[in-house]
Amino acid sequence: MARIGVFVCHCGENISATVECDKVAQAAAGFPGVVHSIDYKYMCSDPGQNMIREAIREKNLTGVVVASCSPRMHEPTFRQACSEAGLNPFLCEMANLREHCSWVHEKGEATTKKAIDLVRMMVEKVKRNQPLYPIRVPVTKTALVVGGGIAGIQAALDIANGGNKVIMVEREPSIGGHMSQLSETFPTLDCSQCILTPRMVEVAQHPNITLYTYAELIGLDGFIGNFKAKIRKKAKSVDEKICTGCALCTTKCPQKKIPSEFNEGLGKRTAIYVPFPQAVPNKPVIDKDHCTYYKTGKCKICEKVCPAQAIRFDQPDEIVEVAVGAVVIATGFTIHQTGFFPEYGYGRYPDVLTGLQFERLASASGPTLGEIRRPSDGKIPETIVFISCAGSRDPAKGIEYCSKICCMYIAKHAMLYQHKVHHGKSYVFYMDIRAGGKMYEEFVRRAITEDQVNYVRGRVSKIYERDGKLIVKGVDTLMGAEAVEIEADMVVLATAGIANPGAEELAQTLHVSYDGHHFFSEAHPKLRPVETNTAGIFLAGACQALKDIPESVAQASGAAGKVNILFSKSELTREPLIAVVNRSAPPEYSTCVGCFLCQPACPYQAIEKEEIKDRSGKVIKTVARVNPGLCQGCGTCVAFCRSKSIDIQGYTHEQVLAEVMAVLEND
Amino acid sequence: MENKIFEPKIVAFVCNWCTYAGADLTGTSRIKYAPNVKIVRFPCTGRIDFMLLLKAFGEGADGIIVSGCHPNDCHYTSGNFHARRRWISFRSLLDFLGIDTGRITFSWVSAAEGAKWAALVNDTVSRIKELGPYTDYEKVARYYEEEVNHE
Amino acid sequence: MNEYQTIAAGLLSSGTAAMVIGYSEGSAKRVRPVFFTRPEEASTLVFDSRCVQNIAVYLTKKEIRTEGKIAIIASLPVMRSIIQLASEHQLSEEKIIVIGITPSGEVKQFNGFDALDAYVSSTTIEIEARYREKIEQVEKMTLTERWNFWKNELSACFKCYACRAACPMCYCTRCTVEMNQPQWIPVPSHTLGNFEWHIMRAMHLAGRCVDCNACAEACPLGIPFNLLTKQMILQFKKDFGGYNPSLKGLNILSSYLPDDKENFIQ
Repeated sequence: MARIGVFVCHCGENISATVECDKVAQAAAGFPGVVHSIDYKYMCSDPGQNMIREAIREKNLTGVVVASCSPRMHEPTFRQACSEAGLNPFLCEMANLREHCSWVHEKGEATTKKAIDLVRMMVEKVKRNQPLYPIRVPVTKTALVVGGGIAGIQAALDIANGGNKVIMVEREPSIGGHMSQLSETFPTLDCSQCILTPRMVEVAQHPNITLYTYAELIGLDGFIGNFKAKIRKKAKSVDEKICTGCALCTTKCPQKKIPSEFNEGLGKRTAIYVPFPQAVPNKPVIDKDHCTYYKTGKCKICEKVCPAQAIRFDQPDEIVEVAVGAVVIATGFTIHQTGFFPEYGYGRYPDVLTGLQFERLASASGPTLGEIRRPSDGKIPETIVFISCAGSRDPAKGIEYCSKICCMYIAKHAMLYQHKVHHGKSYVFYMDIRAGGKMYEEFVRRAITEDQVNYVRGRVSKIYERDGKLIVKGVDTLMGAEAVEIEADMVVLATAGIANPGAEELAQTLHVSYDGHHFFSEAHPKLRPVETNTAGIFLAGACQALKDIPESVAQASGAAGKVNILFSKSELTREPLIAVVNRSAPPEYSTCVGCFLCQPACPYQAIEKEEIKDRSGKVIKTVARVNPGLCQGCGTCVAFCRSKSIDIQGYTHEQVLAEVMAVLEND
Repeated sequence: MENKIFEPKIVAFVCNWCTYAGADLTGTSRIKYAPNVKIVRFPCTGRIDFMLLLKAFGEGADGIIVSGCHPNDCHYTSGNFHARRRWISFRSLLDFLGIDTGRITFSWVSAAEGAKWAALVNDTVSRIKELGPYTDYEKVARYYEEEVNHE
Repeated sequence: MNEYQTIAAGLLSSGTAAMVIGYSEGSAKRVRPVFFTRPEEASTLVFDSRCVQNIAVYLTKKEIRTEGKIAIIASLPVMRSIIQLASEHQLSEEKIIVIGITPSGEVKQFNGFDALDAYVSSTTIEIEARYREKIEQVEKMTLTERWNFWKNELSACFKCYACRAACPMCYCTRCTVEMNQPQWIPVPSHTLGNFEWHIMRAMHLAGRCVDCNACAEACPLGIPFNLLTKQMILQFKKDFGGYNPSLKGLNILSSYLPDDKENFIQ
């Protein structure tokens, strides 16, 4: 039999001014199952809490209702007090007499009656409460960082410096990402490589970081604290342990005309190659798609010249499985390429470039060693036009969003151009200048005033070639929509930043949600910007939405902080207010019939299939199971389950129905 | 008895994170509203079983409020979206059956909308007062008791 | 023997199927479901407009599931039921051969669910005009008239649950109506409980009902509760842009769109 104690609080006069607390306590004393009912000035005070503790011990209470303020305020306080007296904390409930009654109603009979109803409701609920225990989940203190750009590097270093292990997976032969391609960075114009490469080296040398380059994540199972990741290490055809990185092979390889990915096609590379001089690891890989030996079965020049005899043509792809406790996704972004802007002639005119190509032209380590020269004839452009929002903020192109980084890098490009070509003329066509960052607006102003970049507010309608010049036709909306025509030698399009081509597939592998543009979705747009909906998986950098370097680094450190918090204990403790699928004796095992219509309703992918087997291992029945590590306790599945086979602890069918019945009871 | 003013009995099904917190804010802001409404707390609107609404009417509720986080603000990201679909179909079914959906207020009240909560309650109470007690449903609900008394 | 009889006999004699489920002549000019394992019985199969019972209901029964591979004579509603049941993980494609008979009388054998799904997806569920008229008639009533109409209809129900037994989608091993902790729906068949039962049934069929009418056909009192699910289907077509069982599609109530439209949430 239930033995419930009711404790009505006056909250000084906050409650007692409009609610007759003594009458509430008297009424509660008459409720079935209530064996103890008192009112007191301050239940949350030490003496108040002592009254609860003593009553639990003396009257052997099986449940406690504290009728005072909002449970959002003091539920932890009173549950702690109950726990100290040996009562399971989840056998304590609160009736909200202050925020929901005394403060919002006038003094009178109706107010006191409502207070009594609220207490009755909670008494009926608490009678049906079950003792609950925190859920403990073991945690593997190794993080998987997917992507080795600046966001991944920052996250990996922060996690590793926090004393935890990191496994970094990078798809390309080197880490560094887009940042390693940049010439200078805004708003300081310091060299990108100079600030990035020390960090790349630190990653490679860090005792807590294992680096897999030329590798891909191909599977992820499990849940927070207990993931199993499957990684494919693509064959590099080079034994990395022996290779000294002398790069002799790359100078002798006969395939010399492969467009360099690192140089955005503006330079060439060999089939056995190191993507760029500061690559980490600085060891070559063989690109099997272009290698003469892999294509024709003959060549092996690299093998002959290698002084360390490190070439391995028979090296297979390797699949490694690792146990990790958390995942940071930092797979970055890409930009729109050829064919997306037929009106701008991109792809047809070699001197119409993307922003990233311009970065390579301006880079001291780039194909022109930092001189701005036209890809078509190698001439230095006298007039250059930059076009912002090439695709971005253009619903007709399917991209409504702002790519965010372009306004700033265009200003930087124009400045770099003016610094390198002193007599040149530069134009920027823009819709708006979005320079909302520390020292950003000042940077753009500097481009306009000090470097005399001509900013033209308007759209470019067309680019075509005439007598070796690119004719840029547009309007200047600040000059009464006057038509503008510029004879340019080079045009740079700030093409829209987009999600990586494999983003959707990766999201499905990782079971995280993504938006209509395939950027990964954060768990809450405001309050949980670095977490995903899947517990234990975090986001860093442009894979979530386009962002610049400082923002990517900040988010990466945030994600790393979250990972280190998760790893700070060997066990994860979670509130047990989660959904549970019932289990019963054979032959039913559960009333769940395994329709799994609940699966898509779960925002956390917490519902799994469980096969119930007999002793011989034969599957008797497949039923749903809620993974306690993943469930966050929203209860959407509970309301959805037709056979009511799922229930949620703390808000069970019995509890909530009893509450409804009690609150409407006639007296 | 006949002279007594009709005070409707109204149950509110609300989510913990937005509307319950919003109603807390109504309290801390000391905004007054009618005492007819009693709140039952749920983790999320996604948890609110349509059967509970039926049970409330069956137990003599004259009106019901269902409220949670605004779209895109759900603590669990999509519980309210699921709830919205459920209410779209459930409400249309009830209406087709001749059950008075005018007695059910569906709403989004955020944790910052204390004043909205008070206004919502007052509006619902005055609307239900105009409609009067839900005797149609009550007659059906009491059918069994009447039969027992008869025997 | 006709085409479907020949196919059925062939499947049994070759051992491809262990049992055939179909319809045969019963008493009083009615058809009855038939289950047989010998090829010579195939000649007793009939298929005509009287075959309204949805025999997909048997496919989820324990007794049938242990029989090995089943061939089933399937009208379009039966085919739809099979797809819906398959999407709910209740049937395995290795165990079912569908001898489909299309509304135009064409016999199509389906050995896998993908082909069946493609066929079912090429058709659409349309509510028959006579039911649409009835629904419109009810919708045009005042609230009180509607209430009285349904009160009158549903008060007759004595909860025999024939509707549930006839429905292929009601395969739960414990129906919520039988739950007593808590007791969601009162056991006696008074009007309130009847309302609650039929509302719950309709909600549980939301997005799952294939509009086969088997429930209403089974009702000994002829209560037109199939109007509830039919009205829902019409509503879903309007609100959520379409309604058809499919292997890949998501259930209407366990999915959502962020911009679902409604006009009643304040």
